[in-house]
Amino acid sequence: MPLSKFLIAGATLCLTGCVTAHVEDDRETTTGLAEGESIVIMAKSYHQGNETEADYITCIESALESGSKGIKVVPHQQFVDELFPWFEPRTAPADTKGLPALMQRPGVAAAVKDLGVRYIVWLDGDTERVAEGGSLSCAAGPGGGGCFGFAWWQNDADYDASVWDLIDYESAGTVSTDVSGTSFLPALVIPIPLIARTQTRACKGLAQQLRAFIVQ
Amino acid sequence: MIDKIRFASFASFAVILSAGCASTVTMEMPTIPEPRMDKIPVDVAVRMPAEFEHYVHVEEVLGKDTWTIDLGRSNASFFTQLFDHMFDSLIVLGPDDDPRDFQFDALIEPTIEGFEFSVPSQSQSEAFAVWIRYRMSIFDSIGNRASSWTVSAYGKSEKEGLGGSDSLRRAAVLAMRDAAALIIMQMEKATNIRQLADGPLDTGDTSPVEMQADASTSPESEEPASVIGIFVIGGIDDAAE
Repeated sequence: MPLSKFLIAGATLCLTGCVTAHVEDDRETTTGLAEGESIVIMAKSYHQGNETEADYITCIESALESGSKGIKVVPHQQFVDELFPWFEPRTAPADTKGLPALMQRPGVAAAVKDLGVRYIVWLDGDTERVAEGGSLSCAAGPGGGGCFGFAWWQNDADYDASVWDLIDYESAGTVSTDVSGTSFLPALVIPIPLIARTQTRACKGLAQQLRAFIVQ
Repeated sequence: MIDKIRFASFASFAVILSAGCASTVTMEMPTIPEPRMDKIPVDVAVRMPAEFEHYVHVEEVLGKDTWTIDLGRSNASFFTQLFDHMFDSLIVLGPDDDPRDFQFDALIEPTIEGFEFSVPSQSQSEAFAVWIRYRMSIFDSIGNRASSWTVSAYGKSEKEGLGGSDSLRRAAVLAMRDAAALIIMQMEKATNIRQLADGPLDTGDTSPVEMQADASTSPESEEPASVIGIFVIGGIDDAAE
């Protein structure tokens, strides 16, 4: 390996923090997507205390659609608007028991069919800072400036994805991910951030497992 | 020259500091999607109060930051779209229009009873939240009050960007959509507005109905209990939890 590539690889390794990830699924029924069928990614309602970030939903949507084995994903806002007002934070069904009655409402089943949505994936969870420490101080003067010290923080990304089958009106199972990442910021004149991309890792891990779960 | 640069830098810094103490959010016209529901067979007139043409809410948060939320005509636009979707026909009356000059089965007069919001520094979270409480007064075709109904709505949006104006705007739109969902789900049961299509109230044996949206759920409600929330201005008490 040429020295420059070795240095770039080494620098990349050095500039990331430590991340540990755990992904698992719990299947209740068989799944599969036929030609023309799609899925929609939704966040559980904030009325139920959920705080899944909007950018995490977008990340999951993009990750599921990308690549040669990508699956068709209907943008969640389009789905919510097409089925207004039945998937608003207040009105969205809390469990699959409400699906048959919901589908009986005027135009709901037809709208779902037009969109080709076979599965709803409900995301629950968020990324939180669970610990932090160290100290870092910076100073600047006429002759220049600099920082000195060491800081660290740990983020935990904990997400569950419940998959609902809109044809059989039942839960197909859940996929969950638990990622913990510790970032470091040592500074000796210049701060060198070693950032653990916890949420990104949780997105990639969950999307990969979800795709395998749905397509089998 | 150096003095001028110093003065300009100092002035810019002062402007930035003062800008951080006052935020103004101007609402855009909300779009209410066409709901998946059967229209209610009632010819309705809606009378917009003068405040719906230019509603401005100003609040000082934690005694330092002043937030001004200019809802403009968004409420008038919101109710016009919503009732147009919900009822067979809709006439929009201005505050100075005389309802006796128009033909309708029911007259709805929405008003804002309360508007509140919280910013991340208040709630110790990364979200903006908006509460809106509307009162819907409903009259028959000859002006008898048929019912009075309170709708309490809530919207929440996580903080994005530095200022938070977009997030607060989105939270307000979500609160309006929440109100729309409530009105669509519960208006018929809460106000008996459908009966007004049969003619004006017989005032001899009826009294106006006073209801509060999501304060209670009737046992025969077709909505599952899990989707009905209980809201009050200044806080949330969700029955689903």
